[in-house]
Amino acid sequence: MDSDVLDEDLRDSLRELSNIAVGRAADLLARLLDTFVIMPIPAVNLLERSELSMALSSVQGTHSVSAVCQGFTGSKIAGEALLIFNDASFTDMAELTHFEGEITEQIELELLMDISNILIGACLKGLAEQLDINFSQGQPYLLGQHINIDELLSRNPSGWQRLLTIELPYKLEGRLVNCDLLLLFSNDSLAVLRDKVAYMLE
Amino acid sequence: MTQSPQGLTEFHWLIEVLQTVDVGILVLDLEYRITAWNGFMENNSGINSTQALDQSLFTVFPEVSQEWFKHKADTVVQLRNRAFTTWEQRPFVFKFRHNRPITGVTEFMYQNCTFIPVISTSGEVENLAVIVYDVTDIATGKIELNLVNQRLAQLSRTDGLTQLYNRAYWETLFSSEYMRLQRQEAEVCLIMLDIDHFKRVNDTYGHQAGDDVIRAVSKAIRDNSRTTDIAGRYGGEEFALLLLDSDAQNSYQFAERLRKKIAALQVATEAGILQVTVSLGVARWLPQFQHHGQWIEAADRGLYRSKDQGRNQTSIEAG
Repeated sequence: MDSDVLDEDLRDSLRELSNIAVGRAADLLARLLDTFVIMPIPAVNLLERSELSMALSSVQGTHSVSAVCQGFTGSKIAGEALLIFNDASFTDMAELTHFEGEITEQIELELLMDISNILIGACLKGLAEQLDINFSQGQPYLLGQHINIDELLSRNPSGWQRLLTIELPYKLEGRLVNCDLLLLFSNDSLAVLRDKVAYMLE
Repeated sequence: MTQSPQGLTEFHWLIEVLQTVDVGILVLDLEYRITAWNGFMENNSGINSTQALDQSLFTVFPEVSQEWFKHKADTVVQLRNRAFTTWEQRPFVFKFRHNRPITGVTEFMYQNCTFIPVISTSGEVENLAVIVYDVTDIATGKIELNLVNQRLAQLSRTDGLTQLYNRAYWETLFSSEYMRLQRQEAEVCLIMLDIDHFKRVNDTYGHQAGDDVIRAVSKAIRDNSRTTDIAGRYGGEEFALLLLDSDAQNSYQFAERLRKKIAALQVATEAGILQVTVSLGVARWLPQFQHHGQWIEAADRGLYRSKDQGRNQTSIEAG
């Protein structure tokens, strides 16, 4: 099976799966954060290496953009969740997570990690439940900190060109927290996902 | 209720593994009382299990912030979602010692922690597990690498002899200041400064003495400039100084003061006490400059005029 091809059926099924997963996640989030989560519409695509490079390079050099990356793996499906904050206000994040106190640089980092953990976790969990599997999650990493973004992709040994990607643009109503959640799947996960989805549709 | 001997054996080795695994495992109930923990937690905390079990986490570990921990635990229970803390965020959650108390380079153990919701047979989250990883070696490695990188960055920007910025870095700062002025006009002046008859010092007293003179002049520049001023070694015996928020008159006064200070210096060298003078040129930034090179040329013109008129003086170049 060619892992570089994403047929319409698979795309539709994955979009539907993500939709349900995101719906659940949004519901949980709304309850936890006590705010209305504007439901993102998932986009399922094959992402070119150059596009990811571009998205990542926007993180470097600007303070308004930050990104958190977290690996996940389970039942031969593996990938990374990449959360890119395009426009993040720490005051809003602090209010959302009910943090009171002075916002130091360290607290900013913690707020960023907390919000990403919630957004990534809720979504991955929704998806895993749909697929009836469990994911192990690695420690989250803040990109740019102790990691050279230029080298991030070039040093990856797998040499992939295109990746299955589910993109979820999150927005929180009335808050300055806009972010893009990218679920990137390794190439060998695509075949497994295809089987899983086919099995579910039967 | 009896358990089959086989089940018991299995249970036994499972517990044995959990007890000895080199990762901290801590199980709490929803009231934050310690339900169970393993050997790693017991040994590193130095607290006997009998004194910890059924006690509040915050009594056993007073260093753990209640507010922070409960906040973290809340999302875990509500979302049934794992939560993480990394050493970069928070060096440690539990204050344990370095696992090599004699040769370790930090006092405490850096930790990554994972918070896991434990779902009971009824399907509810009834417990919370905290997994503690010792990441001291990774953390200290990365911190040291960072320090070394900072040191390297500083070395690559500094002129070894004078401890002023080297020419390449000074020019970077100068051109970015120039760019800033294109967007937002301000009173900024550039001073070019050259040691008079430096070649004669070198030829007569030797390079060692020449270096001493350069060091002494640089020190005078450093001692007399404000922290916002950008001073660099522009060439062998030529220096460049950028004075932010300083008009031509003020800059001239600054230059004259510096000139007199340098003229009064008694530079101790192996060849005896030497005295030197400097010539200076001052040019303020003008909106009609086409590129930053023109600004340097303007200051240089002032400098040459000072030289032509007999050295040991300051000239303002109007532009």
